Amino acid sequence: MGLAYRYTFQRRLPYLLLAPSVIVLLALISYPLAFALRNSFWFWNLQMGPAPLYYSGLDNYRMVFQVTPFAVALKNTLLLGFLGTFAQFWFGMGIALLLHTHLRGMGLMRAALIMPTTLAPVVAGFLFRYLLEPKGGLLPWLLAGIGFPVPPQGFLGNANTALFSIGLVDTWQWTPFFAIVLYAGLLSINEEIKEAAQVDGATQWRMFWSITLPLLRPIAAFLVMIRFMQLFNSFDLVFVLTSGGPGTASRTLSFNLYREGLVNYNIGTTAAMTWIVVIIVSVIINLYLFFIYRKREW
Amino acid sequence: MRRWGRRDKIAIYALMALVMIFFLGPIFWFILLAFRHPSEAYTLPPQLFFEPYLGNFGDTFVDPGNNAPQLLSSVIVSSGATLLSLPFALAAAYALSRFAVRGKEFIMNWYISLLIAPPIVFVIPYFILMSRIGWAGTYQAMIVTLQTLAIPFSVWLLKSFMDEVPLDLEEAAWVDGAGRFAAFIRIIIPLALPGIIVTSMFTFVFSWNNVIFPLALSKQSTTTLPVGTISFFASTGVYWGHIAATAVVAMLPPMIIFLLLGRYVVRGLTFGAVKG
Repeated sequence: MGLAYRYTFQRRLPYLLLAPSVIVLLALISYPLAFALRNSFWFWNLQMGPAPLYYSGLDNYRMVFQVTPFAVALKNTLLLGFLGTFAQFWFGMGIALLLHTHLRGMGLMRAALIMPTTLAPVVAGFLFRYLLEPKGGLLPWLLAGIGFPVPPQGFLGNANTALFSIGLVDTWQWTPFFAIVLYAGLLSINEEIKEAAQVDGATQWRMFWSITLPLLRPIAAFLVMIRFMQLFNSFDLVFVLTSGGPGTASRTLSFNLYREGLVNYNIGTTAAMTWIVVIIVSVIINLYLFFIYRKREW
Repeated sequence: MRRWGRRDKIAIYALMALVMIFFLGPIFWFILLAFRHPSEAYTLPPQLFFEPYLGNFGDTFVDPGNNAPQLLSSVIVSSGATLLSLPFALAAAYALSRFAVRGKEFIMNWYISLLIAPPIVFVIPYFILMSRIGWAGTYQAMIVTLQTLAIPFSVWLLKSFMDEVPLDLEEAAWVDGAGRFAAFIRIIIPLALPGIIVTSMFTFVFSWNNVIFPLALSKQSTTTLPVGTISFFASTGVYWGHIAATAVVAMLPPMIIFLLLGRYVVRGLTFGAVKG
């Protein structure tokens, strides 16, 4: 083998190694996106035929807003994303600080704490659907016992509490994730910095805000991005807990897509909605990468 | 290290006790449900001690045992997705870990954006595609489409492990006359083996817990266990005993795997971004 050949080969090798995964992934995502783009301009209900029926221009895009509760779903999705991420981050941070006291038994508790996160979201949904049963569920019984007003249809059947309950179940499942990762972050902070600040007379509170939190920022930014998007995609929990109801009170964008596509079989409208969602998601991810996450090194 | 006063300690342990009850209580309560007689699912005030009843597991996994095949499906789909993703991910992770690839940051961001994109967006077109190519309801339909999650995840996590294999060892092998490939097989693979195993375990769990793909792409005979639990929400009533029995079996493999993973849990859950 000639030297020149070896040199070119060496230079191309990383791209040859990346190619298989990139090609497979491109194929796997370009088909759905192209499929959705093409069919978003066609009228097609799967119950009426296995192929698109007629060209309908921008009708499908209009239908997304007029026939499906898209605006409500978008509002619910963003509300779930922001409130859920916020609650999980701070609740998790609190637990991480408790773990960081290093009192006896904390190691064992940290290991046990991750259990909710290991569950399939559907299973977590069932856990709480059972706990929240309006008649015979443990939580309404306990809450009614301490005089908390329990809606007669149950928390999942009430339009004011359904979305909140989904957020609570997700928070139950993913707060341990924040707690354990933020705890790992706390361990990586050099104690000497804090000791120096303490010598300079900084209070615990001041040290947390001025030293701990800024040093955790890269980890926090990453966690918040992942969790916000996972909440934004919420489907499993919605499916098991409320099916988006009552009415459309807890419908999310993913559940709206599922209903329109795999229940009503309106492939055209679903395709249009797919592209609207893809654009929203791309904007969110790119804004995030651009403003908050860009200083990270791989 | 700070020293805590007696009163601080009591307060910390009290808070921690509340935290543990809040996070583990629901799981415990649901496991008990699996061992309750169906007639006692709604007994209030709650009974902590009762005669354990195994009929729920019997009904779902032995006789008639409609859920037993779902257990097998879950194993096939999750192992299949994991095994298929490995060669693709190993090659890509090696390239990103060892070479100055142009646009590395962009490629890494691209992988992660697939990982956090809404899967339902892809699933509905796949549903149509699979019936067109005759794969409707097959295992391979689920295994192949799950790669949209399995490959990006594995690339990220494997890269973090390969970054830790010292370059010196690999260079020493080249000096000894081994080619890139030989060095990869003889040095990188063995030294990154714990990382490869950890990555496989995580991919297995994520595939196991996934519901959207099998929900849309499986048929009754190929559906997975988590999807199987949903079918009990029949119009004839909710069979809580059966749901709990299947859900408890479905939650065991992920729990056991996470316990085995120990200190790698943080790294896996953050796709390798936080070493833990």
